[in-house]
Amino acid sequence: MTRARLTAAAAGLAALLLTGRASASPEDIFGYGPRGPAMGGVGTTTASGFEAVYANPALLAAIRRNKLTLGFLGAAYALDARGAGLPGRVGAERARGATVGIDIPIPLGGQLKDRVGAGFAFYTPTDIIVRGRLLYPEKPQFPLLPDRTQSLTLRGGIGVDPGHGVKVGVGFAALAEIVGSVVVATDASGRVGTRVENQLVATYAPALGATWDLPVKEPIRVGVSYRGRLDARFAVSIDGRRLSSLQIPVFNIAGLAQFDPEQLSIEASWHRSPSVLALGVTIKRWSQYPGPIEPTLPCPADEPECGSLVPAKVDYANTLVVHVGGERRVPLGKTTTLALRLGARYEPSPLPDNLPGSEAFSASKKGRVVVPTRYFDADRAIASAGFGVAFRGAFPCDVDAFGQYHHLVPRSVRSDGDTPSDGEVSGRVSVFGMLVGVSF
Amino acid sequence: MRRAPALALASALALASGVASANPLDTYGFGSRETAMGGAVSASVRGTHASYYNPAGLADTTGFELALGYFRAAHYLSTNGQDNQVDPVRGMNGGLVLPGHVFQVPIAFGIGVHLPDDRISRVRALRQEQPRWEMYDNRNQRLYFATNLALRPFKWLAVGGGLSFMSSTRGRLDITGSANIFRPSQSEVRHEVDADLTAVRYPQAGVKVDLSDSVRAAMVYRGEFQLGLDLTARLRGDISRLTTALYELETHSVNNFLPRQIVLGGSWDIRPWWTANLDLTWIEWSAYVAPVASLNVNLDIPPPQGGWPATITPPETPAPIRLQPLRLSNRIVPRLGTEVLAVQRPRLDVAVRGGYEWAKSPIERQTEGVTYLDLDRHTISAGVGLAARSLVAEIPGEIRVDVHGQLSVMPEETTLKSRPSDFIGDYRASGHIWNLGTTVTFTLDGASRKEAP
Repeated sequence: MTRARLTAAAAGLAALLLTGRASASPEDIFGYGPRGPAMGGVGTTTASGFEAVYANPALLAAIRRNKLTLGFLGAAYALDARGAGLPGRVGAERARGATVGIDIPIPLGGQLKDRVGAGFAFYTPTDIIVRGRLLYPEKPQFPLLPDRTQSLTLRGGIGVDPGHGVKVGVGFAALAEIVGSVVVATDASGRVGTRVENQLVATYAPALGATWDLPVKEPIRVGVSYRGRLDARFAVSIDGRRLSSLQIPVFNIAGLAQFDPEQLSIEASWHRSPSVLALGVTIKRWSQYPGPIEPTLPCPADEPECGSLVPAKVDYANTLVVHVGGERRVPLGKTTTLALRLGARYEPSPLPDNLPGSEAFSASKKGRVVVPTRYFDADRAIASAGFGVAFRGAFPCDVDAFGQYHHLVPRSVRSDGDTPSDGEVSGRVSVFGMLVGVSF
Repeated sequence: MRRAPALALASALALASGVASANPLDTYGFGSRETAMGGAVSASVRGTHASYYNPAGLADTTGFELALGYFRAAHYLSTNGQDNQVDPVRGMNGGLVLPGHVFQVPIAFGIGVHLPDDRISRVRALRQEQPRWEMYDNRNQRLYFATNLALRPFKWLAVGGGLSFMSSTRGRLDITGSANIFRPSQSEVRHEVDADLTAVRYPQAGVKVDLSDSVRAAMVYRGEFQLGLDLTARLRGDISRLTTALYELETHSVNNFLPRQIVLGGSWDIRPWWTANLDLTWIEWSAYVAPVASLNVNLDIPPPQGGWPATITPPETPAPIRLQPLRLSNRIVPRLGTEVLAVQRPRLDVAVRGGYEWAKSPIERQTEGVTYLDLDRHTISAGVGLAARSLVAEIPGEIRVDVHGQLSVMPEETTLKSRPSDFIGDYRASGHIWNLGTTVTFTLDGASRKEAP
């Protein structure tokens, strides 16, 4: 562990390192909505409007007006991996995406009046919907950062306020994965024919949440939110066994294009108008992550030790993320309010310091070799700030903006192999977002 | 003829282009009320299903609306008397509408979704010589997702528009290692993938004009879109220690082509309880792009020292695919629909509906080469709707249950091929399609405006 990392840990977060490290998809890395990203990613007890579909669907119960929000988010990466055979700056495409959020008060009556709300939210990169980038492991890469932000996510949820200061909610997140097959065969006339069938299939994960306004003198709210594991595979099998008398295996071109670990967030917040202060933690089960790539030739059931090449098995660690954030509202007039937001987050990396090597075939040596697994990642210390202006006149609307600075805490990552690889990791991520919401 | 693995697999990938597919709602409708009326609703639609038929109709929604439905369309399409087992289209559909006011102008935001049971979308590639029901086989196996915004700036005018979304695919595939052609399971290969699903958005817009209290006119535009499939593949490595191989391939194809459409529609309340509608849809089929891949191949497999073993035939570079042209003609599709309010009570309405559509096949007769099957289609439809209001205090509005049945009949036609050696030969084709479904709609917070009339 480097001195800089120890310094960061000594800054008050050392205990968190015991649990490992983390990162994942767009909302997991940057946050979601107008307030949470500016407030260090808190939201389990403070989210409002559509952003609650991610932070805690229970808070959707507080929605009272139709609202449509459009936003833009941009992020630039400067990711470095230095050492022998490493490039220094590792190229990473900027993240650019649009956010669409919908607040839906469900206008029920009787006992359910003003007790049910729903929300939908989309984040979509401007150019793509999903990126499936599964590189050879010896290529220097940050598999848990830039490509994970290149994915569309769709989330929806509904919240109910049964009274007594309690709110509960359920929701879902959806991604698309690709599954398919290619069959090559020679027909009776001797001509080579193919049948290709690829499908986009939806994959879902549940979200559950609850909050409770404590029956104490101070206005304190506690909340818990659960998000299920969300992953999207790329899996295409290529079968050429009926092509000729030559026996060739079925190729399994597969891997995990996107992965969000199962998460549990716990948070407490203090709401005394015009201020809000929140502190929370999120536990992420990265130990379930099987790694990005699968064997090209899975061994047949009757020959489990067939000798095919096996990708490196990396033991990703569960992580504990700490968030802290606050907001203060300042009236600017009868119908206009300014909100100032500030926050911080410490996001440990799930990638271990020592990685196993990966098997490969060397054309020059005409045999099997073990190449280093050049995966890099680092803890991120994140500072965030933002503001929002709410207009409540004839044209009720909200304008919000936020910025984040992610500092990758320097560390070393070593990989085994015939020629071991040592890399010094550092870098930064700069994020900016702006949203405009119109109530109607 | 025998082909080596690298050649065959890369060729297979090259042909990873889809049979054309387009919009399932064009064929099977969207929502039971609208489907029962033959799809002739551009001037009378409102609520959730306006997202597809005419986004301007969203502005007529008086309360928060949530619709959820399901339909199943079963194909019975045959050639030479034999059923061709074309997959059914089935799935959920629905959406929601959020109405409101900005500067006292009524506006509404709407989402419309059709989600197939088994998948978001499917690409199925066949050899171009292989017969296929071009408009039904794979064309409708995909998601429809649209968002729209509408407003009514004047009492007599509503306008709306938005975007529909789909995705193209582009990818790079790399396989390296050593292929053991004597013991395949001992092969030492691995792969790398860099694939993107890229966003494709296409517009739709509509206008609705109330010419009088009983007559409405509408015009709708739906944009063209096409999904590209761009794929490059490279296979390189060792073949059983005998030699090395390099195979590079680039392919491009177009899938899911949806032609541009313009709809002109009218709706007339003949009596307060009886409405008749007419829609004419112009479809620019002449812009259709055949779903066949273009292909560039580079193959380099030097013979091993001492030549190839007698048991092995080295692969050869495949001959380039000569694309057969596919010509389609523009079409105007007429649709007729009617709705009768059979029962009208303060808390209950019952409506009976019917419709008809005639879709002349746009595919010109093919007398040689490829066989893209299609026939003229006559579609009759019927349905019933029941609307109940203020059932319980917790649901202050209307709950509507609609059901529909639709039968498409495709009279038999015989196609004679010009060459006796044609891959398929002469054939007879005919078929019919059954489509059944239901939709439940909740309209909350506000007295529901009655369906026209």
